[in-house]
Amino acid sequence: MGGYGDVQLLREDGKRLDGRAVDEMREVEIKAGFLPAAEGSAWVKHGLNVAVAAVYGPMEAHPRKIQRQDRAVIDVRYNMAPFSTSDRIRPGFNRRSREISKVTAEALESVVLVERYPRSKIRVEIEILAAEAGTRCVGITAASVALADAGIPMKDLLVGVASGKIDGIVVLDLDKAEDNYGQADLPMGIMPNTGEIAFLQMDGDLSPEEYDLATEYNFKAAHEIHELMKQALLDSASGGDV
Amino acid sequence: MNSEDTGAEQRLVVPGDQIDAPPGSQPGSGVLLRGESLVATKLGRVQVSGDTIHIVPTNTTYMPRSGDLVIGYVEAVMNNLWFLDVNGPFNALLPMSLAPWKVEFGAARQYMDFGDAVMARVMEVDETHSVVATMKGVGLRKIKEGFIEEIPPHLLSLVIGSNGRTLQRIKESSDCRIVVAQNGRILIDGDSEGMATARKAIDIIVNTGHAPGLHDRLTSVIGGDV
Amino acid sequence: MAQMVPQLLRQQLAELASQDKRFDGRGRWDSRDLILETDILYNAEGSAKVVLGDTIVYAGVKFDVASPYSDRPTQGSLMTGAELRPVAHRKYEPGPPSPESIELGRVVDRGIRESGCIDMEALCIVPGEKVWRVMLDLHVLSDRGNIFDACATAAIAAMRTAVVPAERFDVGEDFKLELSSTPIMCSYQRVGGRYVYDACEQEEIGGDERIHITLGDEGHLHSLQKGLRGVLSPAEFTEILAQAGDRCAELRELVHSKEA
Repeated sequence: MGGYGDVQLLREDGKRLDGRAVDEMREVEIKAGFLPAAEGSAWVKHGLNVAVAAVYGPMEAHPRKIQRQDRAVIDVRYNMAPFSTSDRIRPGFNRRSREISKVTAEALESVVLVERYPRSKIRVEIEILAAEAGTRCVGITAASVALADAGIPMKDLLVGVASGKIDGIVVLDLDKAEDNYGQADLPMGIMPNTGEIAFLQMDGDLSPEEYDLATEYNFKAAHEIHELMKQALLDSASGGDV
Repeated sequence: MNSEDTGAEQRLVVPGDQIDAPPGSQPGSGVLLRGESLVATKLGRVQVSGDTIHIVPTNTTYMPRSGDLVIGYVEAVMNNLWFLDVNGPFNALLPMSLAPWKVEFGAARQYMDFGDAVMARVMEVDETHSVVATMKGVGLRKIKEGFIEEIPPHLLSLVIGSNGRTLQRIKESSDCRIVVAQNGRILIDGDSEGMATARKAIDIIVNTGHAPGLHDRLTSVIGGDV
Repeated sequence: MAQMVPQLLRQQLAELASQDKRFDGRGRWDSRDLILETDILYNAEGSAKVVLGDTIVYAGVKFDVASPYSDRPTQGSLMTGAELRPVAHRKYEPGPPSPESIELGRVVDRGIRESGCIDMEALCIVPGEKVWRVMLDLHVLSDRGNIFDACATAAIAAMRTAVVPAERFDVGEDFKLELSSTPIMCSYQRVGGRYVYDACEQEEIGGDERIHITLGDEGHLHSLQKGLRGVLSPAEFTEILAQAGDRCAELRELVHSKEA
């Protein structure tokens, strides 16, 4: 959070700079089965963010030391393409992408029935092609659609959503300016059917009441995105029905 | 398609979806019980068999089971064993003692090397999913000719067809020897014309197998009728 | 995991070749369908996506202001990077750039650079102090064969539609990156003993050496690369060069048609 800037993010009429209401999310578009070489894949456009995810496996886990005798490990790589941000990013893993990869993997391990595949590894590759705030959430949504597309058994899908605070007001789904100059960001990975939270991060400043409202917004958005995820998977699964 | 497949409407579900089922229904494969309700864990079609609800997945990974006929590629050669990639979550181990040759310690590579293909059988899968394969048995051998096509394992039943009729049609029209292994690999052996025909027929099944009119689409490639 | 070379596939490709046939039924010099889209990535100053059969690649162009090289104080520069990330195929492992991805980036770079299509002097802001650096990144998302041609086509299309973001850097008004020509790459691989154009995944697995040819507008050679194990005769090169001339012209027209 840049925080406490003097940039005004709410208009006189209570709408946000891009015209959205406080509880309105950006437009979302989802396709499943987007990458022919992958065993499962997805493409997600969320606002101006574009993420693709590919799934490979379950496969023999190498190196052997990462193997778990009782379950599969999920190996996530979240990566931003060099041209995905306004200043070019140097290729390669950095501290930010390592942390996001770690917590995303742990979130996915909580929804995938990993005990079905002891000693194996499921590779999840998340590539951010265009970034406009909220890429980790878009990555989670894409990864979960790709896992389902690959035929990996899961308790539920996982939807990545975020709310935050701008000009002292809680709003759903921060865009880039709001992320840069806002006062809080609360990204979540929500299981829409069980109502549980598998991914949780936050930074900034939120009162417990503001947290509750932000969470409420997140769940509302999760249900909307969930419908789009389901539709994308059903379209892909019935793709053979000419 | 055939009469056995025309049951109740096969609804598509995604992981997490609750499945409407009569009370007392049992969770089958791809289904788990959450409280009182049945929940899908895979993307696929709902299939009711008796009082058990299954999901027929649209995409699966091969899970080795003992007794399966598999086509493997040699992925590593040790002094006294081979590791086979059998298209599953774990490699299978083929010990020298289960090879069809009398192999001396250290000479494994002279019989089968990296990249070679073998017809083998899964002998044992233990609880930690260690897979042991054997080449002792009828038809098990190093594959020296033909072409290996790889398809999603859950579509094998469509290639075979009811009572093996679809497979028989493909064999006859292409004049090829065809061996369908349970790990989704199919060995096709014949002249190149025939192999192209067989591959085309399998492509059609893989790409449009669940859509109505498969029989007609196949007939346009392999002709004839049953 | 190393890539396996199933011996059966090599045998089969050789037999098909002896009957002048290809694995996927194409003619020897036929391409798979190639779909090119430009200006598709928010945040990139020039971008393109190529779908070549089941191969998918993106190219993105970014700019920054840098100091010129001391021996060329009035010239901007070009930097090309390619990454074969593990998203693109089961066979790719994470880690530092592999020799394969470095080769890919350098071969695409040479074709564009050596054609002289970029007026490096036009990228000078203050002689000896500030010049524009063009950063071209190639991102392979799905590798089902012939990523070289897919990347080279996406690269030149992204470059030809790029806009230099001078306003964002406070150095004047945005302007279009002018390219005086359109170098195009065509790649040929030896499969079953003879060369074919646009090898698919199986042909690459069971094939031998490949030749990458980049031709300029006038049909002049700007970059050549022989990759992988194998040798060729002068007559074979003459044959594929003639084929490349025709195909490059087609692709050049396609690239031009996507410049709105």
